Amino acid sequence: MEKVDVIIVGGGLAGLSCAYELSDSGMTILVLERGDFSGSKNVTGGRLYLRPILKYLPEVWKGAPFERHVTKERITFMGKGNSTTFELYSDRFQEEPYPSYTLLRAKFDRWFSDLVSEKGVFVIPQKRVDDLIKEDGRVIGVRTGDEEIGADCIVAADGILSFLSEKAGLRSPFQPEQFAVGFKEIIQLDSRTIEDRFGLGEGEGAAQLFIGSLTRGRMGGGFLYTNRESLSLGLVIGIESLNHMEPREEVYRLLDEFKERPEIKNLIKGGEIVEYSAHLLAEGGIHYMPKLYTDGMLLVGDAAGLGLNMLVTVRGMEYAIVSGVLAGRTIKRAKERNDFSAASLSEYERLLNESFILQEMKSFQHVPSLLSNPRLFSKYPQLICDLFEKLMWVDEEPKGRIYQSKIEELKRQLFNWETFKDWLQFRKI
Amino acid sequence: MAKEIWVLAEHQEGKVKGITFELLSGSIEFSKQTGQKVAAILLGSGLEEATKSLIPFADKIYLLENPLLSPYTSDAYESALLPLLKEHEPSIFLGGATSTGKDLFPRLAMHLETGYAPDCTELSVNEEGRLTIKRPLFGGKVFAEMVFSEARPQMATVRNHTFLIRENPGRSAEVLPIPTRLDPSSLKKRVIHLEKSPGARLDITEADIVVAAGRGIKGPENFKLIEDLAEVLNASVGTTRAVVDEGWRDLKDQIGKSGKNISARLYMAFGISGAIHHILGIGTCKTIVAVDTDPNALIFNYADYGIVGDLFKIVPALTEELKRVLAS
Amino acid sequence: MDIFVLVKQVPDPEATIRIKTDTELEIENKYFTNFFDEIAIEAALRLKEKFGGKVTVLTVDHRRVDALRRGISMGADEAVQIADPALEGSDPFAIARILTAYLKDKPFDLILAGRQAMDDDSGIVGIALAEALNIPHVHSIIGLEVDPSKKEAKVIREVENGKEHLTCPLPALFTCQKGLNTPRIPLVMNVMKAMKAQIKKVDSASLGMEPNKVGSSSLQVKVLRYLPPPKRPPVKMIKEDYPENVKILVRLLREEAKVL
Ligand SMILES: Cc1cc2nc3c(=O)[nH]c(=O)nc-3n(C[C@H](O)[C@H](O)[C@H](O)COP(=O)(O)OP(=O)(O)OC[C@H]3O[C@@H](n4cnc5c(N)ncnc54)[C@H](O)[C@@H]3O)c2cc1C
Ligand SMILES: Cc1cc2nc3c(=O)[nH]c(=O)nc-3n(C[C@H](O)[C@H](O)[C@H](O)COP(=O)(O)OP(=O)(O)OC[C@H]3O[C@@H](n4cnc5c(N)ncnc54)[C@H](O)[C@@H]3O)c2cc1C
Ligand SMILES: Nc1ncnc2c1ncn2[C@@H]1O[C@H](COP(=O)(O)O)[C@@H](O)[C@H]1O
Repeated sequence: MEKVDVIIVGGGLAGLSCAYELSDSGMTILVLERGDFSGSKNVTGGRLYLRPILKYLPEVWKGAPFERHVTKERITFMGKGNSTTFELYSDRFQEEPYPSYTLLRAKFDRWFSDLVSEKGVFVIPQKRVDDLIKEDGRVIGVRTGDEEIGADCIVAADGILSFLSEKAGLRSPFQPEQFAVGFKEIIQLDSRTIEDRFGLGEGEGAAQLFIGSLTRGRMGGGFLYTNRESLSLGLVIGIESLNHMEPREEVYRLLDEFKERPEIKNLIKGGEIVEYSAHLLAEGGIHYMPKLYTDGMLLVGDAAGLGLNMLVTVRGMEYAIVSGVLAGRTIKRAKERNDFSAASLSEYERLLNESFILQEMKSFQHVPSLLSNPRLFSKYPQLICDLFEKLMWVDEEPKGRIYQSKIEELKRQLFNWETFKDWLQFRKI
Repeated sequence: MAKEIWVLAEHQEGKVKGITFELLSGSIEFSKQTGQKVAAILLGSGLEEATKSLIPFADKIYLLENPLLSPYTSDAYESALLPLLKEHEPSIFLGGATSTGKDLFPRLAMHLETGYAPDCTELSVNEEGRLTIKRPLFGGKVFAEMVFSEARPQMATVRNHTFLIRENPGRSAEVLPIPTRLDPSSLKKRVIHLEKSPGARLDITEADIVVAAGRGIKGPENFKLIEDLAEVLNASVGTTRAVVDEGWRDLKDQIGKSGKNISARLYMAFGISGAIHHILGIGTCKTIVAVDTDPNALIFNYADYGIVGDLFKIVPALTEELKRVLAS
Repeated sequence: MDIFVLVKQVPDPEATIRIKTDTELEIENKYFTNFFDEIAIEAALRLKEKFGGKVTVLTVDHRRVDALRRGISMGADEAVQIADPALEGSDPFAIARILTAYLKDKPFDLILAGRQAMDDDSGIVGIALAEALNIPHVHSIIGLEVDPSKKEAKVIREVENGKEHLTCPLPALFTCQKGLNTPRIPLVMNVMKAMKAQIKKVDSASLGMEPNKVGSSSLQVKVLRYLPPPKRPPVKMIKEDYPENVKILVRLLREEAKVL
């Protein structure tokens, strides 16, 4: 069996970051990616927060093909036939380094993989890893097609349905409630139109998130990110709630219905769909995290279950990048000791614990159970919209009276036992 | 200046192909601007019927008869044509973007050190007879408008359905037999035999109407449905790479980047998702119809008419409806 | 058997191509080895495996050598890059002239090329090279059998009404079409070796090329401007239920599109 120093399985953000960190180590690093190229099948909503990762990979991002830096944050609550949008603008969004950028994975990952290749890493696409090779319980290599390749250390960066972590016995079988599914379209529009429609300056971007009627009361939400010359529009819905949808084709309809809403329709008018994709996301939080290492192997990014779904923000990319870097650091030190046993690799977990990743995931450990509350996706968005609509509405009748009766109704809706329980829950965040 | 416009006449079993009539019709339009004569160049043996059919479509027919010119080989055609081209120095020499045209024209152009543009989809001339063409690049993602330099002839191969065939009442070509001697020992290639494709249907690149099914058809046996529809429309049957790779249909029916480019008047796609590789092969079709169960199938982005539905219901119903309508 | 294979790195069919100015294109940095050239490489390797000999991959490109590395990773013995900024702007005929200059006094039994390059889509280079070298060619082959003792090849070529079976003496040039074979996917270890492999570099001066025979000054057909593909009107989705939708479709095809 031919042998290299490190094999990274999966050339997404987690795998490539790990490769980047290892590229100056003098070791032979091999990245195997099953897609036609890095980024070819990877899906994200579209926003990367830069600040958390600058500390770990400071220089890399200078030449990165980001789309736009986000200067406008919007949250839209959708009711039946109405919606309310909050918009945040802050001078801080205009200061470099900008806090967050939109990006397209096909372009971004490809750039990153070229960069890593230039630094001497072997990134080889169109290679799916089919199995792990073990010896005396240690992971010692991988099998791809008819080929077996050995390594001191294997990094599983193979994404959300990580087959390697299962093979290595690091996780229990997947459960539906761990996942949500995201549908996304990339809609092409020229940059002037985008800037005009969203009221943006040149190169500036908007991020808009939606909850409420668009998921027909199921757990989930929508997102809209502006890219340089396209919009990323999509929605995310919990697999569990999806199972209750009849017939199943209705899922496709959700995105179409969403696009038919006037709030969206006018934003995407004249645009051409250039890409459509569907992909899973982690929903389970820290409770579903697998064991992160074993003899000769580490898990990073989505494969390690690292990610946070906070209803209005999905965070996975920073986690993927930073976990990749920390895995790289761990491997470098293991190499110094020439010891790739689980004990030696356990340093990885310590580094993750010290980083924002596990700290954030612990802080928000109750979020997943909160999100299973259907009122969050139906009643409350509807209430907000109705309240606003009533405030803004002027009719033939004197306004005062309606006003009063509606307030009464709202009080009835909000101050009851059920809502009180929800509030108690929300306080845990 | 009075140099001629030449069209390579392609024929199959004595019958001249549609593309040749299209090119002659286009050339006659050009000649109205330039005053040049239009000549059909006919090579082969046993060409009476072919010659006759060409007479109303040209001013001249250069007839090169020799048994070694049948069937076509680039060797023999080249040996026969080069002296003629050098002698007459035509202004323009057009051929179809067919297996013959694409095989022969680059070779002639290299020898004559002249310009050649393959796969043209639009052509025009100015009064001086200078040719401007449009052709797809990158599989049709971009088109290039290109103009020829001083070198003559200006050579181009042209896609089907670029010109309409027009009758030319009163035109009657002069037939000029050209003595053609070929030395068999100088001809290196030999066609041993031609394995004819089954069925009488036109090749998908030549057909007016193409109906196609992709992996949505589920199995080779179900192509019967598509064949029945094709029968009613006198259409040819195309398909996708996925289907060819499954071994359900022959490679010759594959439309797209690694298959054939078609320029049909009507193209109907059933159970075809619309991968860019496929789309690149249908860019110059006039009307496109797509039927797919997946409302998000990319094919709908390129179609003129779309139905979200099950091909196993739609195709038979369509066949029946067309039978009914076309009979009346 | 000594075989040369002509290869080219071309934009991926999925790469976006933008018209920057009338005569300039901006091509997204997504390249792959021309699909048909990989088929040519595979055909060459199979002959080598059967009869012995040497396979050399050859490209004219002063920037990209990935197609050569692809060739080596699949099993080619040698790679040659003809590289020279003076070649910039060459059309397929100029490429063929350069290749002629390089190949004219090299010994070979066979040259294989792709049916067409997936960028200019011309299908010229191979055929024009055969003309300049004065060797026979067969275009777009889907079958190939070689008899080295007789110096003869039997090839199958696809034509509109079927398949032609031909014989052809060697040396010859064939351009390869899908259906001839399925290219192998190189082993990881071979890809790694190919990334480090030596590539022989040749410039046009050493080939004695006259400057006016290559580059943009040699063009006989010049681009006036690039244009986007003709735009299609937006799709009309027929939303009515089955079987009403079929009736409507037929009516639209007859009355609106007028294609029936
Ligand atoms: C709809 C949606 C919206 C999202 N929005 C955001 C957002 O706005 N912000 C954010 O930060 N995060 C977001 N996320 C999450 C984020 O995209 C992921 O967390 C991130 O992509 C994880 O990166 P990764 O490298 O771990 O995995 P991936 O990007 O999935 O990469 C895994 C790679 O491994 C390869 N692979 C898999 N198996 C094998 C194998 N056997 N052999 C070889 N290769 C293999 C795959 O091809 C892939 O390239 C979103 C996710 C979705 C689905
Ligand atoms: C270098 C390269 C070159 C290529 N060249 C070509 C080429 O020349 N030509 C080509 O076609 N492809 C080519 N491809 C492949 C291309 O990318 C696609 O994989 C292929 O076109 C898909 O074929 P398909 O639409 O038949 O199958 P799929 O993509 O599987 O689509 C099947 C469709 O059928 C629909 N369907 C299923 N059941 C039904 C039903 N009952 N009724 C109606 N619809 C149904 C599905 O919704 C789906 O949209 C190439 C790929 C590469 C990488
Ligand atoms: N620059 C080049 N270098 C080497 N071979 C080439 C080059 N361009 C084209 N070819 C070969 O010629 C074939 C036809 O190319 P083209 O005539 O450009 O369509 C390709 O498939 C290659 O095999």
